[in-house]
Amino acid sequence: MIKNIQMFSYNMAARVLQQCVRSLGRPSLRLCPVNLALRAAVAPAVTVHRPFSFAADSRRTRWLGQSRISSVGLLCRQYGDLPPLTLETIKDRVLYVLKLYDKINPEKLQVTSHFMKDLGLDSLDQVEIIMAMEDEFGFEIPDAEAEKLMTPEEIVQYIADKKDVYE
Amino acid sequence: MAASTRSQVISLYKIMLKESSRFPSYNYRTYALRRVRDAFRANREVEDPKAVERLMDEGEQMLALIQRQVSIGKMYEAQRTVVDAP
Repeated sequence: MIKNIQMFSYNMAARVLQQCVRSLGRPSLRLCPVNLALRAAVAPAVTVHRPFSFAADSRRTRWLGQSRISSVGLLCRQYGDLPPLTLETIKDRVLYVLKLYDKINPEKLQVTSHFMKDLGLDSLDQVEIIMAMEDEFGFEIPDAEAEKLMTPEEIVQYIADKKDVYE
Repeated sequence: MAASTRSQVISLYKIMLKESSRFPSYNYRTYALRRVRDAFRANREVEDPKAVERLMDEGEQMLALIQRQVSIGKMYEAQRTVVDAP
């Protein structure tokens, strides 16, 4: 399971790197305001967890601001993170994982199809499906809440709740 | 001792599957996963509480065995084969 998470983060990291490389090809002026906004958003979170590095960052930004280097790209700080989750991407990933499961017929799979009533699975299969979702999205789902998730729609709603994805 | 409820069986299944997927060796990992799935599926219809209790105890022992073997396997890890994840 640890290996699956590593595989998943490796894949996601590769995708993020590809996006960064593609975006660097475009003019950096467009890249910079986005990162400044990101930096402003992330800075409060950084202070909470690591006050020392924030002090170092502010010192560094002050130095950079004074020296006024001609290339705009150097003033931007890039943070590594996964691409933001949206309801659409969560739904696509959930359906993709379900289609890979061999006990589910991909043609019959809908967002609202019930695992036990429509797709003819039992509780053991539902446990395996929830474990596959845990591996895909990288966070634990407790048993008490897992046994209530009976349709892909409910799974998407639960993940959106846990990951603070607003519609 | 209270009879094993449905939720206890489900949690044991989940914990065993999680532990089985931690085997470093491809052969042990796939065998353990397949065996756990088949054993739980074969005993799905058992109703007698004593038989369920006995099967749950056996499952707990198997879980302990898997945990021990996972630790040993991680201590003496062999070279990665083609089928192992990178």
